[in-house]
Amino acid sequence: MALEVPCPNCGLRPFTESTFGGEWRELDAASAEEDFARVYLPENPEGPQRERWFHAMGCKTWTTLTRDTRTNEVS
Amino acid sequence: MASFEFEGQSVPFEDGDSVASALYRAGVCTLSRSLKYHRRRGIYCGTGDCPNCLLTVDGLPAVHACTTTCGEGMRVERPGGWPNADRDLMHVTDSLHRVMPVGFYYKTFIRPRFAWAVAERVIRRATGLGTLPRTTAAERQVVRHQHVEVLVIGAGIAGMEAARDAAAAGADSVLVCNEGPIGRGVAPGPTRDRLLELVSEVRSLESVTVLEDHTALGLYEGLHVPLAGDGVLVHVHPARVVVATGAAEEHGVFPGNDLPGVMLGRAAAALAGVHGVRPGDRAVVVVRTDEGLEHLRTLVDAGVEVVATAVSAELADRLPEGVGEVVLDGEVHEARGGASLRSVVLRRDGRGKRFDCDVLVLSLGFAPRDGLARMALPSEAVSVVGDAALRPDVTGACGHEGTVCLCEDVSMHDLEQAWDEGYRNAEILKRYTTTTMGPCQGAMCGRALSCFAAERTGAADAAPVNDVPRTTARPPTRPVTLETLAAGVHEIVDKRTSLHDVHVTAGARLDRSGGWLRPFSYGDWREEYRAVRERVSLMDVGTLGKFTIAGPDADALVDRVFPCRTDDLPVGRTRYVLTLDEAGYVMDDGLLARTGAGEWFLTSTSGGAGRTDARLRNFADRFDLEVHLLDRTAQWGAINVTGPHSRDLLARLTDDPVTVPYPGFADITVAGVPCRAIRSGFTGELAFELHHPRRRGPELWSALADTGREWDMRPHGLDALELLRLEKGHI
Repeated sequence: MALEVPCPNCGLRPFTESTFGGEWRELDAASAEEDFARVYLPENPEGPQRERWFHAMGCKTWTTLTRDTRTNEVS
Repeated sequence: MASFEFEGQSVPFEDGDSVASALYRAGVCTLSRSLKYHRRRGIYCGTGDCPNCLLTVDGLPAVHACTTTCGEGMRVERPGGWPNADRDLMHVTDSLHRVMPVGFYYKTFIRPRFAWAVAERVIRRATGLGTLPRTTAAERQVVRHQHVEVLVIGAGIAGMEAARDAAAAGADSVLVCNEGPIGRGVAPGPTRDRLLELVSEVRSLESVTVLEDHTALGLYEGLHVPLAGDGVLVHVHPARVVVATGAAEEHGVFPGNDLPGVMLGRAAAALAGVHGVRPGDRAVVVVRTDEGLEHLRTLVDAGVEVVATAVSAELADRLPEGVGEVVLDGEVHEARGGASLRSVVLRRDGRGKRFDCDVLVLSLGFAPRDGLARMALPSEAVSVVGDAALRPDVTGACGHEGTVCLCEDVSMHDLEQAWDEGYRNAEILKRYTTTTMGPCQGAMCGRALSCFAAERTGAADAAPVNDVPRTTARPPTRPVTLETLAAGVHEIVDKRTSLHDVHVTAGARLDRSGGWLRPFSYGDWREEYRAVRERVSLMDVGTLGKFTIAGPDADALVDRVFPCRTDDLPVGRTRYVLTLDEAGYVMDDGLLARTGAGEWFLTSTSGGAGRTDARLRNFADRFDLEVHLLDRTAQWGAINVTGPHSRDLLARLTDDPVTVPYPGFADITVAGVPCRAIRSGFTGELAFELHHPRRRGPELWSALADTGREWDMRPHGLDALELLRLEKGHI
């Protein structure tokens, strides 16, 4: 339940030090439709999700992690 | 003798009295009027679980009289009732039950359109828990954070044992109790003896911090538990939480169950055993729990004449002497009375018998206080112990008639009607009838609601008890004042520029803007505006976000981040840039300056510095760019010198040429201070932003101000800037 974000610089830190950066998405979209989906249609899965976190109150490093949205388990 | 003021009269109290017990001793049986039908309500649970004794104490509405200790000179009033709670003409609504069914305000007052506006005003006046204090001087509350291994919520037997066990295992813990001192209000008997024994043991442990008079409001991600105390909000960050909130006594549903005189065992025992007030002269007692036997003994010892006792068969052989007529496995069929209880009909095997009495004491079972437990995700970090872990028994009889929800005045009849209208599970019955949505948050009615839904859907027969769904619990578990929710808001960290003292000395009106404390005006904003338009003026813009971007991939990064071209920008020139998010919304704007080969300087708005920083770093990370990003917001100060004479002013203070191109910048030395002068246009006049080392700000400012006197210079604040920007077409 306690969510800790693994920062590449600082190790496991409480999530309150970080800001959420949304779902991880491939940046290069092949078509306009795909690009639209990238921006406007989040998967919002119930389960593991790849997502971005920014250590805003710390070392200011971005990281990508996989979190289970049901249990907050980070793998 | 000490006394408090109750609706204009003086009510004496004894040491240790609660407001409710003192009023009861003084013969006040009607403590409140119910929300909708204005029915009389008296002491019921005695443990702060039900809404019956919510009074206005010293101007603060919705205070539990049964858990509030009397204080000399307290002012106590009953809310509701017109002209007062004793003689309430609005009680007429009780006989209009038929025209005011559940949800009537959704179905009526629709046409003509003004009808609802009128009706709403009337309904608002007729209901509610009292009026908020009109004084604006709310007391400031402070915020405290506490990190601890184990947080034990609830200082009953299970909770104190958990704290003791934690200490034995070498863990430090916080034990929180929502009243104090622990064990107050528990009638003498084996339970109290055990409690007091544990209290002294726990208090002697160094690793246990006991917090009395603190209420846990919810269980949040993190783990994080906010505790509301007297004038303080404590954010506890525990590694583990033990929920030991115990159980309230079960609310009985039968006709007349809300008459003054009908009360739960703990309330009656506390009156008789703790406060020395006899709850009544003639009592009918229903005992279905071991604890109920303790309460019965307390009543008998206090000299209450028990005329009848309905007892479950397995407890019958442990009944004390002198408990009147014993009705084995009897249940309450009906309670009768007017202003208060007059008689009770006990029923067994379909045959009823009436007993005249003035108090009915119920110990029917336990309803877990599981609000917090139901908020928790299943996790090893949260454990629920003791009575709080009980599953409410929803298989038993639900009752056929009577008040289900004391807070919102919902009767069994209302639930049936809602059912017939098609609201056919516990969650939507809750929303439609507002059952469990009052101050008690389902402590009394939660079981009855689940039971009703289970019985109607047949779930009670088909599924095991544990599968019967309870309604969702959400924070806060207990009513909380707005002051508590606002606790700590005044403790915002205000960032200050190096020129803060200069502004204060100049008599500026400072206020918050974008996380900074900034001058809004130095007195006359119109004159400040004129100084910019006609002469020369200064503004502290040290709050702007300031970044250096350098490294082999710096050009690639700025090209990626900004929607405009950047590759054609020569060294020494600037360009106005927008920072957009993925959807194209403007997040921020600023000036981008090329300061050298592969080296850039970027300014952003004061409030948007954090967003811009995060955006730049995100791109650098995602595109795997090798750049150095330096946030110089706090390292550098900046003063905007603006007005038709701004170039003349600078020329007086520097030997460097002040022919800075627009849009562009130049590194010059002003009054001996090395500055980066950036031409900016947001005031609509000739302007130079002088970015300089922060600590030299005051020196630079006073040099500019002294020399500027020649043109009758005066600094401008945000108020004047608003007008300048508007005229320029900025919003």
